[in-house]
Amino acid sequence: MPQTEYSIYSLQKRLLAILGIVAFLFLCLFGKLFWVQIIQGKTLQTKAISQWTRDLPLAGLRGSILDRNGNTLASSYTSYDVYVRGSNITNPSEVALFLSELLGLDYDTIEEKASKKNVSESLIARQVSESAVKAIINKDLDGIYITETSTRQYPYSNLLSSVLGFCTIDNIGQTGLEAYYNKYLTGINGYTMTESDITGLELSNATTSFVAGVAGCSIELTIDVEIQKIVENVLAKIMVEQQSKGASVIIMNPKTGEIVAMASKPSFDLNNPPRDNTELLMSLSKNSLITDVYEPGSTFKLFTLAAALSEGITSVDEKFYDPGFRIVDGDRIKCWKTTGHGSQTLVEGVCNSCNSVFVDLGLRLGVDKLYSALTSYGIGSATGVDFSGESSGIMMNKASVKNVDLARISFGQAVAVTPLQMITSVCGILNGTLYEPRFIKSITTNGVKKEFTSVSKGQTVDQSVSKQILEIMEQVVSKSDGLYSFVPGYRIGGKTGTAQKYENGAVASGKYVSSFVGCWPVEDPEYVMLLCVDEPSAGQYYGSLVAAPYAKEIFAGIFSYLEIEPTNLKEDLEKLEPTVEVPNLVGYPLMQAIEQLVKLDLQYVIDGENGTVLEQSIPAGQKVFKKAIISLKT
Amino acid sequence: MKTKFSIFDNSNHSINWWVLVPAILLAVFGVIMVYSASCYNAEKNFGNAFYYADKQLIGLILGILALTFCYFVDYKFLAKLKYWALGLGILLLLIVFIPGIGIESYGAKRWIGFGSFSFQASEVAKFCLILFCAGYMAEHQQSVQKFKGILPVLLAGGVMCVLIMLEPNMSITLCVGAVCLIMLLVGGARIKHLVMLSIPVMALIPVLIFLEPYRIKRLMAFLDPWASPQGEGFQLIQSLFSLGSGGWFGVGLFQSRAKYSYLPFSESDFIFSIIGEELGLVGAILVLLVFGVLIFSGYKIAIKANTRFGCLLAVGITSVLAVQVVLNVAVVTGLVPPTGLPLPLISAGSTSLVVFLGAIGILLNISRQSAVNKFHTAENPFGKKWKLTKKVSTQK
Repeated sequence: MPQTEYSIYSLQKRLLAILGIVAFLFLCLFGKLFWVQIIQGKTLQTKAISQWTRDLPLAGLRGSILDRNGNTLASSYTSYDVYVRGSNITNPSEVALFLSELLGLDYDTIEEKASKKNVSESLIARQVSESAVKAIINKDLDGIYITETSTRQYPYSNLLSSVLGFCTIDNIGQTGLEAYYNKYLTGINGYTMTESDITGLELSNATTSFVAGVAGCSIELTIDVEIQKIVENVLAKIMVEQQSKGASVIIMNPKTGEIVAMASKPSFDLNNPPRDNTELLMSLSKNSLITDVYEPGSTFKLFTLAAALSEGITSVDEKFYDPGFRIVDGDRIKCWKTTGHGSQTLVEGVCNSCNSVFVDLGLRLGVDKLYSALTSYGIGSATGVDFSGESSGIMMNKASVKNVDLARISFGQAVAVTPLQMITSVCGILNGTLYEPRFIKSITTNGVKKEFTSVSKGQTVDQSVSKQILEIMEQVVSKSDGLYSFVPGYRIGGKTGTAQKYENGAVASGKYVSSFVGCWPVEDPEYVMLLCVDEPSAGQYYGSLVAAPYAKEIFAGIFSYLEIEPTNLKEDLEKLEPTVEVPNLVGYPLMQAIEQLVKLDLQYVIDGENGTVLEQSIPAGQKVFKKAIISLKT
Repeated sequence: MKTKFSIFDNSNHSINWWVLVPAILLAVFGVIMVYSASCYNAEKNFGNAFYYADKQLIGLILGILALTFCYFVDYKFLAKLKYWALGLGILLLLIVFIPGIGIESYGAKRWIGFGSFSFQASEVAKFCLILFCAGYMAEHQQSVQKFKGILPVLLAGGVMCVLIMLEPNMSITLCVGAVCLIMLLVGGARIKHLVMLSIPVMALIPVLIFLEPYRIKRLMAFLDPWASPQGEGFQLIQSLFSLGSGGWFGVGLFQSRAKYSYLPFSESDFIFSIIGEELGLVGAILVLLVFGVLIFSGYKIAIKANTRFGCLLAVGITSVLAVQVVLNVAVVTGLVPPTGLPLPLISAGSTSLVVFLGAIGILLNISRQSAVNKFHTAENPFGKKWKLTKKVSTQK
């Protein structure tokens, strides 16, 4: 039986081989078990626990935002989110009835959520007040859960809205400084961890652990809320009186770059942003003073002036003649006053805001020198402000600037800046050193305070040049422009600007940005203000008429808030003594009317192209002060 | 002492404790673990924490009865039933497809149900196939060395595999295939033939995998379960969470957290994860060692069996046990792609428990008869008793 023997012999051997394979496989299993349970055990367990427990957040309150004097601009308080968990509810209709009455919500929606058995928590209401929560706790119904959250509140509601910005419903900074400083303001949420099954149902013997939340840092701004209030009140007035599309103000300390006030209208209530209207929300929540550019017009002349004085290519006494235009490379560039300013000194040229004077200065400087001066003043680059979405303005490519362009840039055309850039650069030339503008003053957490210091971006002009510019600006305010920005007893400097708006690359007729930059005190400015009125439509558009008077109001408000005593009040008031009686000009030929006004030391602006005066802004017989401006309609 | 052949053989009650004790230990332990793993879901879904445990306990009692019965029945009698067994196995697997009797669950037709009673056809069918293979190869021990001789076994195994595959149930198919292979090997088939056979079968596996998109997904989930933690990878991740939380000594009996609806099939296919979580690596390895003792004893019985049929039957029974244990633990630890296969004697499922305990009874019977009739000597371990076996069967 050789075959049988073979089979018997092989059977035992083969069985042993199979046993060996099984033993080997068992060893593999032991190895894998050791790997999973011991080597990877801790990692897996950590992940497992986070899955096996349900954690509910405990709000870490978002930090407050304060003004420079400690007034609260934004703060958070604890509120509560209310949830239901259907699997723990025996009587959904009772729960739904109670909650819908307490919170003023729809009964059916709550009942539906309370009846769902297979899901974890369903949210019923967010940011519910403490009193409502107390009522829920007292009622003691099963299946209603409350988690801590927080609600952001802005005590000044509309004030500073485009700067502060707002948060999402989840308290994440969405716009403005709330977004920019979100990581500092955000609190760290704590949580409660409860053992639960996969549907979130709490285990009968569950243990619950608590980790408390940590509040966010509070930040202090350079904003002075009192000045901000003054500014916003005046802006509201502008919106009504000038029927403008918008109005805005920035006030900055030129010595530090601190932004003391920044406001733009229209504004909105930060406590109740129009979240449902995305388009409106987007347009309101944008801070156009930082993100949008405009053509500055005559206020830009200050930079040309600074460059010319620095380069020594002119002096304050130099005489210029303006026939009402300049011809540059065959192009006729008009002065705003088409009849011309005649012969005038540089100072008078600035007071008259004569374009021809600045065309001369610009051409004398040349592209290289003007551009390098503008660059050192900060034009053409972002200011570096602590705010998102800053625009760096628009400057023509230096290589493609022709003389005509140079001439226009010199008086503030063919160039676009953001309002913030404008004021920052003005601060730069008035102070001699350019500083990065900023909103942040300090960040505080747990009693530890980090103060922010000014960041210098370099020298702009010599102190002597700054002084000369300031003196000229004072003259603009105190001797020209109809004294519209003149505050008796205080030494203010200023410069107006009126720029035409462009739409789709062409001049938009009748649309202007009227602006005013001012500073105080002229001896050593602490406050520099830029006021812009966007598309005034109440009849006037010259910066001296539309912007300057409001700048004056703001300055006056600041002086009264800061309790600054006037000096030389008597002398100043005399300037405003109504000593001149306005003659009747209606029906006269324009040239005759002008002659009369010049004789009386009154100033004028002309609106229209005809030769005969049709209307006069101040009626005949009314007494006005010298240098007052009368607008003539022809 | 020598009685005439009868169905009940009362000659001697020498019990192989190395098989009985581990088997009963595992089955009792199984009832406890089924309770632990299922109590939460049972309470939640049926309002009775003991819903699965009660069924398992009934299975245990019936299983012990089956074991006792099989222990007393002369296993040699089973050889006569080999064609009936094959017929029954194939019939059961066909019944599954009859609407009304076959029960579809999770997209597969695997159960046969009468009223509240239901069982998985393949659980019974695989033992039917073992019985047939053992009986056939014992009878035709010479011819199995020729390829023609193993064809009936291959055909029987092939038909069953195809039917199980149609349910579909890939894991049991693999299990049945593997057991078939082991039996052919032990039965004396030439290795050359088996290798030749294996090549087309191996080639078929990837085809079968790519035929069903869910298998590809499972395969991908196995390779990187974290890619789809909520989808295909979910079950494996839950299993690993459970095992990983066990550490060396476990979180304590009944203290599992994964059983709170996190780990699907925690009382059946994935019960080993719960064992690992509650009793730790030490407990898990201990359970495997008890299985090891059982498997080793099973193969020892095969070697010592006094008939070729007994030997092959013992090999088949032990192999089913071994293959299922290895495959199940490999699945729950993420060593092979997830596939639904119960852990013998422990996983919830009373049919499986009854059938396995019955099979253990057969093993004990084989062991007892070889112990009673000590035909083996050191020089001639299998003696001339093959002839005797033949005689006995031909006499009948």
